[in-house]
Amino acid sequence: MNTLQRHRALSRIWASDSGWKRWFTTVNHTDLGRMFLAVAVLFFIIGGILAMLIRAQLASPRSAFIGPEHYNQIFTMHGTIMMFLFAIPLFEGLAVYLLPKLLGTRDLAFPRLTAFGFWCYVFGGSMMIFSLLAGMAPDSGWFMYPPLSSTIAAQGINSDFWLIGITFVEISAISAAVEICVTILRYRAVGMSLSRMPIFAWYALVTAVMILTGFPPLILGSILLELERAFDMPFFQVAAGGDALLWQHLFWLFGHPEVYIIFLPAAGAISTILPVMARTRLMGYGWIVAAAVSLGVLSFGLWVHHMFTTGIPHMGLAFFSAASTLVAVPTAVQLFAWIGTLWQGRPDMRLPMLWLLAFFATFVIGGLTGVMVAIVPFDWQAHDTYFIVAHLHYVLVGGFVFPMLAALYYWLPHFVGRKTYFNLGNTAFWLVFTGFHGTFLLLHWAGLLGMRRRIDSYAPGQGWELINLFASVSSFVMAIGFALVLIDVVVNAAVAVRGSRDPWHAGTLEWAMPTPPAPYNFASIPTVASRDPLYDTPDLPVRIARGEGYLGDCARERRETLCVDVATGAPRHITVFPGNTALPALMSAVTGLFFLGMLVKAYWLVPLSALGVICCAMVWVWSLSPKQAEGALHAGHGLALTTAAEVADPPGWWGSLFLLLADGTFFGSLLFGYAFLWTIAPNWPPPAYVEAGLWPLLCLGAGAVLTLAGARVATLSGSALEATGLLALGAGATLILARAPDPTAHAYDATIWVLMGYALVHVLIALLMTGVLSMRRLASHPAVTTTGAARIVRLWSDYAVAVALITFAAAALPGVLA
Amino acid sequence: MRSLLRLALPLTLWLACFSAVYGLAGLLCSSRWSPVADDTTRLTLLALAAMAAVVLQAGLVLALRSPRWQDPDTTLRRASLVLAVAALVSTIWTLLPPLLTTHSCDTGEQAHLPEIR
Repeated sequence: MNTLQRHRALSRIWASDSGWKRWFTTVNHTDLGRMFLAVAVLFFIIGGILAMLIRAQLASPRSAFIGPEHYNQIFTMHGTIMMFLFAIPLFEGLAVYLLPKLLGTRDLAFPRLTAFGFWCYVFGGSMMIFSLLAGMAPDSGWFMYPPLSSTIAAQGINSDFWLIGITFVEISAISAAVEICVTILRYRAVGMSLSRMPIFAWYALVTAVMILTGFPPLILGSILLELERAFDMPFFQVAAGGDALLWQHLFWLFGHPEVYIIFLPAAGAISTILPVMARTRLMGYGWIVAAAVSLGVLSFGLWVHHMFTTGIPHMGLAFFSAASTLVAVPTAVQLFAWIGTLWQGRPDMRLPMLWLLAFFATFVIGGLTGVMVAIVPFDWQAHDTYFIVAHLHYVLVGGFVFPMLAALYYWLPHFVGRKTYFNLGNTAFWLVFTGFHGTFLLLHWAGLLGMRRRIDSYAPGQGWELINLFASVSSFVMAIGFALVLIDVVVNAAVAVRGSRDPWHAGTLEWAMPTPPAPYNFASIPTVASRDPLYDTPDLPVRIARGEGYLGDCARERRETLCVDVATGAPRHITVFPGNTALPALMSAVTGLFFLGMLVKAYWLVPLSALGVICCAMVWVWSLSPKQAEGALHAGHGLALTTAAEVADPPGWWGSLFLLLADGTFFGSLLFGYAFLWTIAPNWPPPAYVEAGLWPLLCLGAGAVLTLAGARVATLSGSALEATGLLALGAGATLILARAPDPTAHAYDATIWVLMGYALVHVLIALLMTGVLSMRRLASHPAVTTTGAARIVRLWSDYAVAVALITFAAAALPGVLA
Repeated sequence: MRSLLRLALPLTLWLACFSAVYGLAGLLCSSRWSPVADDTTRLTLLALAAMAAVVLQAGLVLALRSPRWQDPDTTLRRASLVLAVAALVSTIWTLLPPLLTTHSCDTGEQAHLPEIR
């Protein structure tokens, strides 16, 4: 088979459907990455228009341009869109498009999950935009503090749109994060050990783990607040043993890592682009990896610095102030590594480099004002003023938008296969850069002069008029700059001349393919021996195209790629990817009905759509289950490997592990919330504690033993034992629920209901998984193809047992202590 | 996976210690659950917890230096050691407040905010 024949054969195997169907059935990461990026840009435009409305309103004192009711919706949606519908999805889109290409593989670990996440994002985001157009948008600020967002102060459907819409969108983030972790750890070029991974992959890995551990507290908070709004369960109402401060803890447990979830991918792009533009190699790779990991973990110890004015004890203030100053160190390590890289190279001042320099100038200012607000006395002065607005825009625009614009211009030739030809981008750069600083630099002073954030108008004579007028004019200059960027990209994509394969002379694998990329990425899976394989093996692209790598023979006529060892990158097995299907789009639409039912209070729709989601999931899993064993298959270079379906640690096991990390964080946050209310909240103890009794204890004990034992017997009778155990666990949790008081009476009662509900959901998940495994055994699927599946089920069963026992202990403990 | 654990463990341990000491501080300051009432006992307990955390982190640095536990890959070995030292320094830095703060349960609201307003 020659190169052209191989290209044609692989294109036929990997191609998405043609025509309009392609939009709904594609599971290809290149398609979905582009779709993610396009939708994120659309949301950025909407968020930008809202920002312009805000600046138009604030340009002059006592402006009557927008009334307070609409102004509240506009600033809330501006923040919400930019954080949840633009920044995170843009990272997801970039990672979805780029990671397999950087890592030297053909697709992401779970192509259907990529599509499912994308459609959840589209449907959830559309829900939010609909609320804006209908004049029912959330209006309590993007952090939705109760009681402003609870039924006490917001009785309409506005807050529900936020709580339900954002939770829906976060399914997309969690899906993408699981996908990214498994792909980075298991799907790489042969020989790409962890220390040879492209630096962007390290950043993406840290970011993905942060999403898995950062988002669950917010999902929990959103669920609790929605339960309070819909069913009067008083988690945040002081009169009934709740505490509004609990929301702030849950929100900022997410909200502060969120800043680094946004910054780290941008830092990954900087670390990738900067050495290429400086015509050198990255200085301090190991230090940068350590700094990224440090930043990722340290960011989880800072959340209270958003709450310095809530009246927490002195020691708490000192504690979190110390942690907040600490985070400057790994950030500085990265900055110095980048400056060192620039110093050792010869920077080429083209457009990506200009955006990187804009990043340096802007982000350093944002970082330094960040250290200022980490100091408690200063924060007390500046809290909730325009100083904070200016600071956060310097961090987020300087630390995310500017590097992403560098990334856009750097990878544009890859996206479209054309040279950057027109010079509109330079004009756009100067308009955005000067417009941005014109807008936000002086707003620091407005804040120090006492201008509070979120005010819809102000009286003249406070020294704010000129600053605001100048900021508003500058913001329109910036908006014109962004519009020019958009025009530049569209014009270049449409009419510029065809470009060469590696226009920047970069060393990473994404440039080892023709551009725009073919749907299969690599005609054969390459072997690499360094971090910049194209520098060390300049003829690698040709060798890949000739099929000299692994899996270059496409005789099996299906989508295949290699799974490698986590640490060394040695080939371990062959993964067979699924073909095009509308199932992910359908499943996310049914998931949307679940959320819609909650939103419009059509509760009959909720169980029906939940059943629909379960049916879709069953079809999904069953269609991916192999019906027969294939044994060792030829992978190239004399290597014979089994498929991932016949190993003990298939990608699904890894995916479950990371999903359980998110799930466990959710559960941990729930226990934290419970402990917080128990310890701090006023109006405790509740009228009565739940009395667990003997029967629930017996059910849980027997259930735990049977489940754990059954999950370890790899036969049909083992599955039956496991199912019996799970049913006993469910019965135990239901008995406790039957003894629990009315959940609307006190926050304690409401928490017991949520704890038991959580345990029951996990028992149900494990039961469904055990059911599917039993059906596969009944259908005589060979034992070797169910080994991995059985380990996945065991993981979920063990987790269900742990959850059931911990929830029981948590429910019973206060009563015992009392 | 072991390489990843070596990288992730030191700062995760820092986070666990940080959360545990903060949780302990919360419990000791809670009028409802606190077994002790005076600042000296409270600070002694917190200091003991903080010192235990420092000892754990120091032990981890030593373990990651030993041939038995260190990563076979040079880059990752250095990175994990850097992270272990960073975690030790972070632990000392962030847990200093329990040792240095007097009247640890006073709130900013009580002490300062009225003056600022």
